[in-house]
Amino acid sequence: MGIISRAFKNIGKNWYRFGLFFVTTAFWLFFAWRATGFLNSFNIFTLLRFASVQVMVGFAQMIALSAAEMDLSVGAIGAGVAMFVGALMQLLGVPYPLAILLGMLLGATAGFVNGILVVKTKINSFVITLATSSMFSGIMFITTKAKAFTVLPQGFVDLSRVWTFGLPISPLVWIMLVVAIVLYFVYSATSLGRKILAVGANRRAAEMSGLRSSKIRITVFVLVGIVAGMAGIMDAARMESAGPIIGTEWLLTSFAVPAIGGTSISGGNVVVFGTVLGGILTGTITNGVLLMNVSNFFVNFFLGLILLLAVGFDRLQKAYRERTSVK
Amino acid sequence: MKSGKSTFILLTLITVMAVLLSACGGAATQPAPTATSAPTTQLKPTATAQTGKPNFSKIRVAIVPGGPHPYFLPMKPGLADAVKDFGLGESVFKSPAEWKLDAQNQLIHSLMAQGYNAFGIFPGDANASNAIVNEMVGQGIPVVALGGCLNQPTKTSFCLATDVAQSAYLGTKALIKALGGKGKIVHFTGFLVDPNTQKRINAVKKAVAETNGAVQLVETIADVDSQEAADQKINAYLAAHGKETDGIITTAYVPSTVAATALRNLGDKRIKMVGIDDDPIVLNAIRDGYLVGTMVQNPYGQAYVGAQVLAYLKTGCQPKADAPHYIDSGTLLVTKDNVSTYKEEVKTLTKRISKTFVDKYLSCSK
Repeated sequence: MGIISRAFKNIGKNWYRFGLFFVTTAFWLFFAWRATGFLNSFNIFTLLRFASVQVMVGFAQMIALSAAEMDLSVGAIGAGVAMFVGALMQLLGVPYPLAILLGMLLGATAGFVNGILVVKTKINSFVITLATSSMFSGIMFITTKAKAFTVLPQGFVDLSRVWTFGLPISPLVWIMLVVAIVLYFVYSATSLGRKILAVGANRRAAEMSGLRSSKIRITVFVLVGIVAGMAGIMDAARMESAGPIIGTEWLLTSFAVPAIGGTSISGGNVVVFGTVLGGILTGTITNGVLLMNVSNFFVNFFLGLILLLAVGFDRLQKAYRERTSVK
Repeated sequence: MKSGKSTFILLTLITVMAVLLSACGGAATQPAPTATSAPTTQLKPTATAQTGKPNFSKIRVAIVPGGPHPYFLPMKPGLADAVKDFGLGESVFKSPAEWKLDAQNQLIHSLMAQGYNAFGIFPGDANASNAIVNEMVGQGIPVVALGGCLNQPTKTSFCLATDVAQSAYLGTKALIKALGGKGKIVHFTGFLVDPNTQKRINAVKKAVAETNGAVQLVETIADVDSQEAADQKINAYLAAHGKETDGIITTAYVPSTVAATALRNLGDKRIKMVGIDDDPIVLNAIRDGYLVGTMVQNPYGQAYVGAQVLAYLKTGCQPKADAPHYIDSGTLLVTKDNVSTYKEEVKTLTKRISKTFVDKYLSCSK
C-alpha cells in the first residue's frame, strides 16, 4: 500500500513527465471508441510499423538537437543509404546483413562529412546540412537514375512483414525499441552522452571545462548519419522498395517527433522515450483520422495542431516547474 | 585514451545496430496478420432468389487514386453506379490528401482495417506500389489497377486504363481532318519520364506521317503537365510562332487547359486545337468554338467495370489463362455536336465493356 501511494505521489509530483503518455493513451481510447477497425490486429500492426520508422527519424534529429545542432539531410541520408543497400542486394546479390552493415557505414560517412564541414567551416549546421542534403540527393539520383530497387531478399522484406512472438508487432518495432534503449544508455550512462549534452547546453562552457567540442560534434553527426541510415533501411523494408521517395517527407517529422516528446530544440536535453511516444502519437493520429473517415485532408491539420499543443504544453510544464522551484 | 573510448562506443553501436537489423530479418515467427477475418476467406457467390444474379452484398470495394486530381472525379459516380447495378456492399472512393506513395499506402491500410475487401488503385508508384499489392493479394484481397498500370511483375489481376497511343492517334486524326488535311501543327504533352508520353509522341507522329507531308509536325513540346511550365512554354510558343501555327494537339491534362485558355485570351479561332480530358475550361472552349474537340478518357468506366470485376474476383473467379492484363477502358472524341451528351455516350461505352468482360476474360466455377 505504501509503495502504491508513493508511486501515485511521485506521478503527482512529476505529472508533466507523464503528460505525453496520457495524451497518447487518450487518443488510443478515443480512436478505439470512435474509429472502426482501430483495435483490429492488422491495424495495430501497420500503425506500430509506421510509427517505428517515424521514431527512428525522430531519433536522428534528436541526436543533432541534443548537441544544439540540426541536420536537414536526414531524409537525403536515409534515401541514399536505403538505395545503396537496395542496389547492393538487387544488383550485386550481397547478403542482406552485410548490405545493411555497409549501408550504415555509408550513413556514418555521410554524417562524418556533415560534421567535418560544420566544424571546419564554422558555418551553421542548418546551412551546411541544407547544402549537403541536396548534394546527397543529387549523388543518389545521378548514380541510380532515381530507379527504385524492388527485388529485395525475403529475409529483408520479412523485417516488416512478419508478426513476432505471436503478437501483431513487426520486427521493425523491436529494432526501434532496442535503439531507444541503446540511446538512453548512451545519454544517461556514458561519458560520450554527457559530453554531447554539455556541448548542447553551452558549448563555450563545455570547451572552457576542457571538452573538445569539435570532436564531439563530429561524433554527433556520425551518429545522426547512422540512425538516419537505419531509418532509411527500415523504411525500405516497410515499403518493400528502396526508392528515392524515401525520406522526402522526413523533415517535419524529424523535428516534430522529438519536440512532441519533450526534447529541447535549443539543445542540452533529450527525452529518448518521449521521442518514442512522440512517434507513436503522430502515427496514431494519422491512422485514427484516416479510420474515422474524416477527410484525410485534415490529417496534416491535426498533426500541426498536435505539434502546437505539444509545444504549448512544454511551455506550460516549464512555467509550472519554474513556479514550483521558486516556492 | 578518451578518444579511443568514444570510437569504441561508436563502433560498438554500429555493430550492435547492424546485427540487430540483420537478426530481425530471420526472426520471423508468424506471417503478417490479415486485415479482417473476412478477406482471407473467399466469399462464395450466392444467387439472389429473385434475379438469379450473384449476390455481391459482402463485397466492399475501395477505389484509391494516387492523389487528388480532377481526372479521378468521375470514378466516384462510376463506383456508385456499380454498387447499385451489381448489389455490392458498402464501397468507397477515397483519395489520399497528397501525391505521396506513403499517404496512399496508409490510406489503403486504414481501409483494409475497416473491412474493405477488394481494391481498385491508381498506383502511386509504378514499381513501389507492388509491395502493397502483394500485401493485399497475400490476404486474399483482389486488386485491379485503374487508370494506370503497375510495372511487371505485378499481382494486380487486371489494369483498366486508356490506350494512350490510340487516344493520341485519334485526336491527331481529328485535328488533321479539321485542318482540311494540311497545315503545320504543334504537340504539347506531359512529362518525358512518363513512359506514356513517348507512346503519345509516337502516335502523333504516326498520324502526321500518314498525310505524306501535307501536315507538318513543327514541334513537340514536352514536360508541360504542370501549371507553371505550361503557362510559360505554351504562351511563349504562341507569342513567337502563333501566326505560323495552324493546329495544336495536346495529350496531357494541364497543357490542354492552358492552351485552351491561351486561345480564348488571344481570341484566336483560326488555330484549330484538339485537347484531352473534360475539364470545364476545355468543354467551354469547345462550346464557344475555340477548340475542335477533346479526347475524353473513361475514369467513370474504369471504376464501374473495375468494381464489377473485383466482385467476381472476390467470389472466386480468376482471370482466364489467355486474358490480357491490360484492358483498354475506351476513349471518345467530344466535339461541339456531343459536348452536352458525351457523358451518356461514356456510360454506353462502359456498359458495353462491362457486358462482355466476365465472359471474355474471367473463368468462374459454376
